[in-house]
Amino acid sequence: MALACAAAPAIADAQSLTVRAAGDMLQVRGTGLRLIEGVVAEHLKDGRSVRVDFEMTILDKAPQGAAITRNRQSFILSFDLWEQRYAVTRAGATPRSISHLAARDAEAWCLENLSLPLAALGRFARDLPFWVRVEYRVQDEPPPAADTDSPFTLRTLIEALSRRRADEALARTFEAGPFRIGN
Amino acid sequence: MRTLFLILLCLLVSPAPARAQDTEPPDGTRVESAEISGISGNELSPGLRHDIDGLAGRPLARPEVTQLARRIEEEQPDVVVAVRIVARPADEARVIFLVARISDDAGLGSNINARYTVESVEIEGLKEHEISAALRDRLQALVGTRLDPAAADQLVEDLKAERPGYDVTRRIERGTRRGQIRVVFKFSETEALRWIPFAKSRSKFVYHSDEGWSGLHDIPIGRRDHRVTVGFAVDDNDTLVEEYSGVRLRFETRDIGTERVAASLEASWLNNTWRAPTLAALEANPLVPDPYRQRITVEPSLTVALTRHVRASGGVSLSSLESLHQSPDEQMASAVTASLAYSQRWDRDKHTQQTAEAGYEVRTSADGLGSDLEYTRHLGRARYEFTNRHNTIIAEAFGGGITGQAPLFERFTLGDSATLRGWNKFELAPIGGNRVFHQSLEYRFHGAALFLDTGSVWDDGASHKLRASTGFGFHTEHVFLTVAFPLNAPGTDAAFMMGVRF
Repeated sequence: MALACAAAPAIADAQSLTVRAAGDMLQVRGTGLRLIEGVVAEHLKDGRSVRVDFEMTILDKAPQGAAITRNRQSFILSFDLWEQRYAVTRAGATPRSISHLAARDAEAWCLENLSLPLAALGRFARDLPFWVRVEYRVQDEPPPAADTDSPFTLRTLIEALSRRRADEALARTFEAGPFRIGN
Repeated sequence: MRTLFLILLCLLVSPAPARAQDTEPPDGTRVESAEISGISGNELSPGLRHDIDGLAGRPLARPEVTQLARRIEEEQPDVVVAVRIVARPADEARVIFLVARISDDAGLGSNINARYTVESVEIEGLKEHEISAALRDRLQALVGTRLDPAAADQLVEDLKAERPGYDVTRRIERGTRRGQIRVVFKFSETEALRWIPFAKSRSKFVYHSDEGWSGLHDIPIGRRDHRVTVGFAVDDNDTLVEEYSGVRLRFETRDIGTERVAASLEASWLNNTWRAPTLAALEANPLVPDPYRQRITVEPSLTVALTRHVRASGGVSLSSLESLHQSPDEQMASAVTASLAYSQRWDRDKHTQQTAEAGYEVRTSADGLGSDLEYTRHLGRARYEFTNRHNTIIAEAFGGGITGQAPLFERFTLGDSATLRGWNKFELAPIGGNRVFHQSLEYRFHGAALFLDTGSVWDDGASHKLRASTGFGFHTEHVFLTVAFPLNAPGTDAAFMMGVRF
């Protein structure tokens, strides 16, 4: 965190994603992830946890550019019933946790922890523009609203047809660019 | 070491400072000292350190101690804090803030509520004695311990295994005291477990390349025991000889003192139109009753579940038919109805299921119902479905017969989106028949379907020929896209059908 604050930010902004160099790392910030809402928020407020897989990909162009480098990271979200605040744990070999966060801050913390070494960007870290794609996918699919007698109506049919796969229902992708890291 | 420390402190210490314990000194006791354990005091802001140090020498106030614990957590978001208040000689108290990092404890990492003690375990949707003693003991063993999300999830799975037919979910709620939680296991009875299911939805939107569009939409409103279904029909020619549009209203209840008895009342107002081949065939066959422009039907019925899998129903069907050619002349077509239905499902494992259904229905006009048409209609059907992962085999057959003069809506037809697919019913038998036999075999793999239909519909005494058709398509439970070919027809024109049934 201290590193990120100390670094002179070379910022480019596009849509809801922002990137910046924080020391020797590339960090992403963004708004409008809309991860902690709807069924995910209900699931968390029932005291259960939700695992979310994030992937950040650096592209040489958009929308179908080649991937320069990528980083995958899983996070576990839970909601402190007594503090009424969210907690996030970055999973992996070196877990890191934070609690007492508002929903939007918890989402932002996930993004900040997706950082990539600038060296992995190669020449794109110096003077070439690049694009960033951030995807997330909720792995612990929250159960549907508990109404087992709910009949199969036209609405549920439309929902069923418009849904791709159940495990894709809670996934989103964001793409932004071009960004350029200044010297 | 940190994990060991956390486990130890959580075993020894209540995580909530406000939790009353007999061994803890009461509020107002003079605080001898206040200490921080687990992190260095230097990691806290000077102001917070000052306030913690300031507890010493003052009367103990638990809300103040709780507030300081929260301030530590807010300054250090990667830690959780438990407070230990220890009685000291001379009526004094020692306050210890026990701090542990979340990352060092797998339980906290997976769910922050794992820091809290389970105050109670509750069961919703099922009486406690309906759960085995062993599982009840395991549920109660959670009380007084820190929440273990993995153990609680395992209990959900074990409860599901013990009570098939129920969905089990768990949630956590705040307890009555700060730092304590209630774990609630909720059982929801699935429809499969009910003695008597509600009537199946007839909703469908179908396109048949030879017969055009048909639409039926049922909108059920209601919950577990009572339901009202409003149904709309738009040019439905896929079900009967007639093409009809109109409205249905159906009320069902399955709470008449016992779950094993259900009652229903259906009323429908339908306007009928007729295809030219049907009208021509009717003119040529004066023994078949006249067509009608409007059909109003009322059908009350009562169903009794003899077993979980066998149900018997009885009722009456009263229909008023307004003549097409001599309006407003009307005919009554009234019948007593009785049926026996069997359905059963076997889940061999998560991926393999079998479903068997069979039924027999008789509808017969009876003295006293004022029917202008005297007839008896019998229909028997059976269906078997086997699913293993992405493979499905469906075998279906039905046969029926009518004696007397049955109204056109009772006559049998074949050649639509579900029977003798590939044949056009308005060419095959435009006024249907009073005898029918049909069987179908279908194989599906990932939705790709192959099928073979055979059957015949004819009038008693007339010659009849067995027809067959085959085809392929994309079929799922609710969606179908089919190309079908009549096999023993003069031409080989394929029929295309698509639609949804839901």
